[in-house]
Amino acid sequence: MTVIPLPLWQPALLGTALPDGRVRCELCPHECVLAPGESGRCAVRRNDGGVLRTAAGSPAVAHLDAIERKPFYHAWPGRKVLTVAGPGCSFRCNYCLNYRLSQFGRDPAVPWTGSAAEPAAIVARADRERAAIGLSYSEPSLAVELTLELADRAAPHDLPILWKSNGFLTAAGADLVAPVLAAVNIDVKAATDAAHRRLTGAPLGPVLDTVRRLRAAGVWVEISTPLIPGISDRESDLRAIAGRLAEIDQTMPWHLLRFTPEYRMLRQDPTAPESLRRAREIGREAGLRFVYVERALGPEGRNTRCPGCDRELIARGLWETLSVTLAGGACPHCRASIPGRW
Amino acid sequence: MHENIFVESLPDLISAEEYADHPDGRLIRLRIDCDDDGVRILGDALRPAELEALLRELGGGPTEQMLCG
Repeated sequence: MTVIPLPLWQPALLGTALPDGRVRCELCPHECVLAPGESGRCAVRRNDGGVLRTAAGSPAVAHLDAIERKPFYHAWPGRKVLTVAGPGCSFRCNYCLNYRLSQFGRDPAVPWTGSAAEPAAIVARADRERAAIGLSYSEPSLAVELTLELADRAAPHDLPILWKSNGFLTAAGADLVAPVLAAVNIDVKAATDAAHRRLTGAPLGPVLDTVRRLRAAGVWVEISTPLIPGISDRESDLRAIAGRLAEIDQTMPWHLLRFTPEYRMLRQDPTAPESLRRAREIGREAGLRFVYVERALGPEGRNTRCPGCDRELIARGLWETLSVTLAGGACPHCRASIPGRW
Repeated sequence: MHENIFVESLPDLISAEEYADHPDGRLIRLRIDCDDDGVRILGDALRPAELEALLRELGGGPTEQMLCG
C-alpha cells in the first residue's frame, strides 16, 4: 500500500477574523479573504473553522549547499547554507525551475511532498556544519512561522537566517520577519506592474516596497533578475529595472540570471551570453557598482572588483569563494568601503 | 507516475563556454555508467524538460534533480 502524505496544517500568523467566519490573510499583498474551508491563492494557507492555518512550515528538502548558490555574493563568502523548503509559492511564474515544489496547490500535477518540520534538528545540523540557515527553492515568505521558530533556536548558536524570496510581503509581513532575517535575495523579475503580473500573477510594486522596507530595517539585501523573454530581456526593460534599483542604492548587488526554458515556457531559447554581457553594461551605466553573472561570462562575471580602484577583491569559482582580499570590509588598496556582511 | 527526487548536487556535463555555440538550447549530454547495481544515466541539458522526457522514455528508477536558488 502506498501512503500519500497530506499537509500538516498549523496555526498561522497575520490572520484577522472577519464576520461570518471569514478570515483575511495579511501575510502577502494578495490579502485573500477566505471563507471557512477555503485556501488562499498560495494554496498553503487556509481558513480552518475561522482560524488561519498554514502548511508552509513543512519542509520537503533540507540541503547543504554554498551561499553563493542562493545567490549571495556579499554575505559570509564561502559559508555553507542548510536550506529548507516546503511546498508552495505566492507566484505562479511560468518559467519556474522548481515548479514541482513551488506550485503545489496551483498545479494539480504537483504532489504534496512536505513533512512536519523539526526545527531543533535543523538548527543542530546547521550548528554542526557552522552553516547559515536558509529558506529557499520555494517561497520562504509563506513560511514566516517556521522562520521565526528557526531564528529563535538559532540565535544562541549565532547562525544567520537567510531567504531567497520573491519579496511579495505586506508591510506587516516584512516587519514581522525583519528582526530575525540576516540577509535576503529578492527577485525583481520585471520593470512594470503589467509585465510582472503577466509573469507571476502579482504586481511589482509590493516587491520593491519590501526591498526598501527590509533594507531600512537593517537586513542585507541582494537582488536577482532573470532575463525572461518578452518580460525582462529587452534593453529598455533592463534599463528600467536597473534604474529603479540604483534609485534605492547603487551599492546593492544585482545578479543577472540566465533564463532556462522550463515548465510552461518551453518554446523560448535560453538567454544568450551576449545578452547577459549587455545587461551587465546596462546595470553599470545605471550606476550599479556590483553587477554579477553567475556562470555565462566565466570568472570575470562572478568576481568582485573595487568600485574605487578596480582591483579584484573577491575571486569566485562556480558556487564557491576562492579568495577574499578585504580589510575590515574595505578595499585594502584604496580603503573604499565594500558593503556586505563579511 | 514517474518519480522525481530533489538532491543536493549533481555534476555538470555542460560548461558555460558552450552556451554561445547552442543558442537554441538543443544540447543534451549523457554519461552512462554500468556496474553490478545496474545502469546509471547522468544527464545535463540546456532544456531540462527534453532531458527529463528522454529519461522517462528510457524507464527505470526515479529521476534525481537539483533545485534552483
